[in-house]
Amino acid sequence: MHSRHRVFDPCLISFSLIGGLIIGLTVLALLNMAVKQLSDIPFLISTATDSGVINAIVVTMGAGLHAVLILLIIGTPLAYVLARTNFRGKGVVESIVDIPIMIPHTVAGILVYLLFMRRGLLGAPLYEMGFSFEDAYPGIVVAMLFVSAPYYVNSVREGFEKVPVHFENVARTLGATRFQAFMRIVLPLSVRHIVNGSILAWGRAIGEFAAIIMIAYYPFVISTLIYYTFTTSGIKASSTVAFVMILACFAAFIILRLLTRYTGRYDDRV
Amino acid sequence: MIEFDKVSLRLGTFALKEVSLRIRLGDFYFILGPSGAGKTVLLEGIAGLHAPQSGRILLRGEDVAGIPPERRRISLVYQDYSLFPHMTVAKNIAFGLKMQKADRHTVERRVEDLLEAFGIGALRDRHPLTLSGGEQQRVAIARALAVEPDILLLDEPFSALDPVTKEKFIEDLREIHRTRDLTIVQVTHARDEAMRLATRVAVIIEGMLAAEGGVEEIFSAPETCDLARFMGIENILLGRIVSSSNHVVRVDTGAATIIAVSDLAEGMEVAACFRAEDVTLSFPGTPGSSARNTFEGTITAFTPLGPLMRVSIDCGFPLIATVLRDTVKEMGLSPGSRVSASVKASIIHLTASEQTITD
Repeated sequence: MHSRHRVFDPCLISFSLIGGLIIGLTVLALLNMAVKQLSDIPFLISTATDSGVINAIVVTMGAGLHAVLILLIIGTPLAYVLARTNFRGKGVVESIVDIPIMIPHTVAGILVYLLFMRRGLLGAPLYEMGFSFEDAYPGIVVAMLFVSAPYYVNSVREGFEKVPVHFENVARTLGATRFQAFMRIVLPLSVRHIVNGSILAWGRAIGEFAAIIMIAYYPFVISTLIYYTFTTSGIKASSTVAFVMILACFAAFIILRLLTRYTGRYDDRV
Repeated sequence: MIEFDKVSLRLGTFALKEVSLRIRLGDFYFILGPSGAGKTVLLEGIAGLHAPQSGRILLRGEDVAGIPPERRRISLVYQDYSLFPHMTVAKNIAFGLKMQKADRHTVERRVEDLLEAFGIGALRDRHPLTLSGGEQQRVAIARALAVEPDILLLDEPFSALDPVTKEKFIEDLREIHRTRDLTIVQVTHARDEAMRLATRVAVIIEGMLAAEGGVEEIFSAPETCDLARFMGIENILLGRIVSSSNHVVRVDTGAATIIAVSDLAEGMEVAACFRAEDVTLSFPGTPGSSARNTFEGTITAFTPLGPLMRVSIDCGFPLIATVLRDTVKEMGLSPGSRVSASVKASIIHLTASEQTITD
């Protein structure tokens, strides 16, 4: 009967049981909500098709996408410099990059608000030029950018560091400038880290609440809407909005993962 | 062609200290040194990937400080080949030509020529990570030669190859050097590669230039005792010259007297160096050897070295000989056997030992 002998490693088994608590907690929370929500399908559908809810989801995901696009442009060069150079004070720069991770999000929100409000250091001149951040879409993007930047920069930097510097050196001796070597060698070999960093940053951005409401209570992002619904209509209405958001996030992440599944597989090295 | 004028270059734990060298047009120049001696840094310095802290590097007679690697017309092949993993073999080879904005026709033709010359046409559309070490090596060299450099830098090119591939590749390199008008600079820690390919050799020990010269002088007549050791000379005996006449000296090592051909003066502290392969073994008392140095001793150990056998002998001082395995069998030698070891006086190289230098 026993054609195979499996060796059960007691250490792995106990670790799995203990670690399983985290998985269990998440699954339990989701099931608990799903069961309640799915028991009232008509209400779920009316919530999911409510224009306020749809707007909030679109604003959230759109602003997150804008934040990531800005990060691709300004975060990528920073990640490269941090990956490839050693300079005095590099530790200080690295700490500055990590500041948004370390501080409470309300504090991040106040920092962003003070800088970009109508009378703020950057907000005032930009307001003159016609850009308004207070209670406006750009305010959401700026707040998201601030809190998600470290996730993008650190992830992409790690990708750049994994590309052997010898590749770049060879490319340069073959006639490529540093920029050409970056574009043709380093960037293609780091695609996966760039994609992962973008997804991480995007996820972080669409989950932001505290930093956003400081500068832009309106237009509602999904978190603001959930909080607003919770305080005005109670737990049932707000948890339905939350459930719709969960479904939307799941769908988005699954699509993203599927799309990027085979991206940059050549840097798979053991 | 390439000149180092008192170049000092520090990079992490590696450092070159005031190295001056002259590599001439057409040289197959070997830079020998133990691992971690700063050899790769030196090559990267020539390529322009690191700037020296002090001193000057001249290429083709010009100071190249401030000239970036992409404008130096030097190709570099690393030990790990560093093929671009996201490009096919053909694209790897074409990379440099594309960077130089060669037209498509030229790129295609040159890539075809190289694929054929290196016998890697069948690998054209493969990705580097699917290739064997020897195949990767050939692609790397082809890629380096595609831009038609006049200087080729090789960083330990044989270290990852199996012996058969290595043999073939040594021949290929000799051919490349001969037919393509190249100045090649190769760094390695393997002396046998240098003995077979080099036209000139520099030895770098602890970041400093320990010796520079032709292959013969570096290998057979090292200037210092340290160098002799690094060159793998097995027998190095310290002593003092007790008599000198007519180019023949007698060196007293305490345990033996060694006769050597040398012009060094009486009273000097010297090291007598000779290679294990220059020692011949016979049974004690058998006449016939013309060698002027004969030491009797007892065999203490055997170490097989392929077709050869390394024999350790206690002659009152330790002595090492290498002989054919067949010789060991024919003579019926075993640990404990008494033998006499002979070395010709003309083959022993005397170098001033450390003590004299510090005096």
